[in-house]
Parts: sequence; C-alpha cells; structure tokens
Amino acid sequence: MQEITLELLKKCANNLMFDMKETEYETLLHEFDVLTKQMDLIGKIQGIDDEEEMTFPFPCEVTYLREDEPEEPLPREDVLRNAKDVVDGQIRLPKVVL
Amino acid sequence: MSYLDKNIVELHNLLVEKKVTPLMLATEAIEKAKKDPNNAFETILEKEALEFAKTLVEPEKDNLFWGIPYVAKDNFSTKDILTTASSNILKDYVPVFDATVIKKLKEAKAVLIGKTTLDELAMGGTGTTGHLGTTYNPYDPEHKYMVGGSSCGSAAAVAGGIVPFALGSDTGDSIRKPASYAGLVGYKPTWGKISRYGLFPFAPSLDHVGFFTRSVLDAAYSLNLLQGKDYNDSTSSFLPNEDNTEDIDKGIEGMKIAVLKPIINSVHEKVILDAFDKTVEGLRKAGAIVDYIDFDEDLLNAIYPTYMVISCAEATSNNANLDGIKFGPRIGGENTYQEVMMKARTAGFSELIKRRFVIGSYSLFKDNQKYLFLRAQKARHMIVRKINEVFETYDAIYLPCVAKVRNPFEGGYSDKLSSTYLVAENHLAIGNFGGLPSISLPIGLDNKFPFDSNLTAKAHEDKKLLRIAYALEKITSLKDLSVEKVVK
Repeated sequence: MQEITLELLKKCANNLMFDMKETEYETLLHEFDVLTKQMDLIGKIQGIDDEEEMTFPFPCEVTYLREDEPEEPLPREDVLRNAKDVVDGQIRLPKVVL
Repeated sequence: MSYLDKNIVELHNLLVEKKVTPLMLATEAIEKAKKDPNNAFETILEKEALEFAKTLVEPEKDNLFWGIPYVAKDNFSTKDILTTASSNILKDYVPVFDATVIKKLKEAKAVLIGKTTLDELAMGGTGTTGHLGTTYNPYDPEHKYMVGGSSCGSAAAVAGGIVPFALGSDTGDSIRKPASYAGLVGYKPTWGKISRYGLFPFAPSLDHVGFFTRSVLDAAYSLNLLQGKDYNDSTSSFLPNEDNTEDIDKGIEGMKIAVLKPIINSVHEKVILDAFDKTVEGLRKAGAIVDYIDFDEDLLNAIYPTYMVISCAEATSNNANLDGIKFGPRIGGENTYQEVMMKARTAGFSELIKRRFVIGSYSLFKDNQKYLFLRAQKARHMIVRKINEVFETYDAIYLPCVAKVRNPFEGGYSDKLSSTYLVAENHLAIGNFGGLPSISLPIGLDNKFPFDSNLTAKAHEDKKLLRIAYALEKITSLKDLSVEKVVK
C-alpha cells in the first residue's frame, strides 16, 4: 500500500477535482491513521483472506429482456434546465482547443 | 384541535368519516412546518400542498394514504420541486422527474408538505452537516442533543407532530438511529423491496429507501404501498409483494429471537438496559424464546471500518457527476472546463464530504485496493455469512439501537473517524451489509426523552419481522409518540 502523506492526499483531492484547507488535510491524515490501524486488525481475522469479496447483499439476478418499445426521451429544454450557461441548446464551457 | 399527532390509520378513519378534510390536515401541517423550531425543512410546499389538498373531496375508503400529509427527505427527486440533498452543490437543482416512491405516494393522493433536511448527500449521522446548518431534536428545546442523521429533518418532522409519515433513506443506520433519538418507528426493508429510482445514490450496494411512522401497523401499510418491482431500478426485487398487515396480530408463540451478547455487553446506560430487559421478559411471556448468544467480537469491531471504506468508495464514484456543469452552481473558471469543475466542487462540498471522497478514492487506487477496498468487501461477506448463520436458528436479532439515550453535540458521537469505537453505536450497519429488513421502535423514555430498540430479520422476511415488532409494540405500549403527547 502507498505511504499516506499530506502531498499524496492533496494530489488525491485534486484528482477528485476539489481542494481542501490545510487543517482539513491534517484531520484527514489523522483519520487515515485510525482507518489503517482498524483495517490492519481486520486483516488479522482468521480466514479473512479466504473469504470472497461481497459486492451486493445477495445475488441479484436480472434475467428479463425489455420489450422493444420506443420511448420518448426527456425534452432538451428539461435536460438543460439546470445548466447555468446554455447557448443554442448546448452547455457552454471554456474552449478546449485554442 | 390538533390532528397531526395521530397515526396514519387514525387519520384515515377521521377522513373517511369526514370529521376532517385533507385541506384541514394540509393547512395544519403547513402552519406547523412554518413554525418548526428544529430546522427540519429545506422547502415548505405551501402552495402546491394546499392546491392539491383542495382537489381531494370524496374520501377513498380503501386507500389509506388518501389525503395524508407527509414529508420527504431532500434526496428524493421531486419533479419541478427544488431538491438539494442539503448540499451547496445542488442548492438550486430542480429535478425533471419523480422518484418512484414519490410517484406512488402521489398516485395514492398523499399530500407532500415539504422536503426535509439531511446530513449533506446523506453522508453523515449527526444532523449537523447539511448546508442549512444543524437540525435539532424536537425532544430537546435547549438544542443540546442530536436527533441523529442522516434523515434528521424527516425524523424531526414526525416527532414534532407535523406529519404522521416521512420518507427517509438508510445506508448505514440513517433511518433507524434517528428513529431512536426521536422515539419513532423507523423501517428499512429488504434491499430491493422498495425501488430506489430517483433516490440520489450514496452507496448503492448499501442504500435503502425506508420511512418513519408512529406505529408498526402504519409501517406495515406503508411498506404495502411502496414495495414492488420497478423496471427503472435494476436491483429491484422480482419476488411477489406480500400483504404485510396480514397476520400481523397473530403473536409470536414459538418464535426464536437472538440477542448478541458482545453488543448488549457494550451498552452501559442503566435506563436502556432496564427497558431492554423488561421487553425481553415481555417477549418471553408472549411465547417467544429469547437466547443471549455469542458472536465474534472481532467481526463486530470490523463493522465501522468496513462500512467507511465501502461506502466512501462507492460515494466517490457516484458523486462524480456533481461537476457544476450540467447542474449545480457555476462559481467561475474562465480558462478550462477543469477549472469550472474544480471551483464548483471546492465550494460546493463541505469538509466532511471531501474527506470521505478522498478516503474512498484512495481505497480504490490499484496499489491500495487489496488492503482497503477488497479487504472491506471480504469482511462484509464474513459478517453477513455469520449473521445469516444466526438466522438458520433464529427468526430475528434483537438489540438496543444506541449505547446512550442522548447524544450531545458537544463531546458526543461524531462523524470523524475515531479509535474510540463503540460496537453498540454502529451495529445497525449489519442490516445494510446483508440487505436485511430492520426496524427500530420505542421501548422507553428517560425523563421524557425516548429511545428505541431494533429488530432485524433474514432477507425477504419483512412480513415476519413486522409481526414480531407489532408484538413488541404491544408489550411496551409505546406507540404514537410525539413531543406534544410525551411532554404533556
């Protein structure tokens, strides 16, 4: 596992597209310390490595096929209603290619 | 005269007898909501609720929810109604469709009075992290003790006598624990039994739609209304619906109930232990066999870190769409779309949410997965397997909901990860790990402050669970609680 440092946490936050205050990173560093100690204890539970990972509470089968029926999509006006900068039916963002 | 501290069945009878009208109920609910001192509301729907209530004239005898006022946690999509998830990043978001449960309640002609506060994005357990600030416990006018979270506003609205029914969501214990602090019935069904279409996802492998009521019978009727296959939710169950009220009063003779010794041993408040012991005695008198059984303490200690890693990892992924572009505030960013996102997400999320996203993302890194995310998934499987072994012998597991009746804002249980770990404060997440039906209901009052115990059963045995809960409610006689009734 990667060593947890302030720099790594900052990089991680920036990858998630936000920034945090210095004090918040300190809190986070402490939380990671607690969490890794607790995960270490879980690693010591007998037989834990032989256990299969659980993704859902119980098997969840989806075995039907939808009828091939046409559906009306949401009107464009509705889809764009919550966007703050819309021009000619499209959301405007800064230019990617200058 | 006040009607809204009555339960759904009582209000239905009054509506059918035309002693009260939907408009009278909606008017009273709106007035109470406007005066609410507990910060339970994101939005009060005065105009919409009164207009709809006016259209309800001829009572529908066979429709229990006809004209019943209710509230919904503000993480359910409501068409054309502001839905914020109590987060600044969604502070002006107006959905374009109704969640399935909202649609069902609308079709039943229940009257939506308002949208309630929550811990931001449902990711907290204190009722303190929503963008409108702290939601308070109606039983504590001095505002020293929590109502809990994340469904804080829904719990406060029902306990405060504003409505008899509230929608909530439960990923770790977000309905069942606030139910204890608010003296309510809090129900989370088997995973897949109620559609989650339109619920803002937090951690889909753990998320459940559920509700608060004032009686177990109301909870059974509510499940009858909201359950069922929904092709808009791929995890929705194909199993047939049951009438959950049928045989609810047939008693519990011969049923077997387990109390997990390590959890009850970690509760030290005498008032909780005394009330719990009394209910065990009552269950035995009613013909049930109640055994105190051993359970691996290491596994119980694994519950909270397992929950943290899995829920944070899923949340990181699910909330990646909150980018300030398609919806949410445009804070700025003149040069690149990354700058737009960065500014919106930095300003839009509170500290707790950001910390949780980082924990989740870090747990999913290739180098860390085996040690964190996959290990948590293994622990989850082992806990669920061992709990399901208990259900091979027992019909239900019975435990106190919380270790302490009151949880103070200062110095109490918080959302920060701590090495001081209390099994009794975190065990309810077992129900989410295994998708198990689980219900909290009042068992005692400590100087006019209520507290609940919890019953959990095998997956898909919701009907049996409600029958046991109904028997327990008869033993305690603690139903239909609201602040007005308890304080008087």
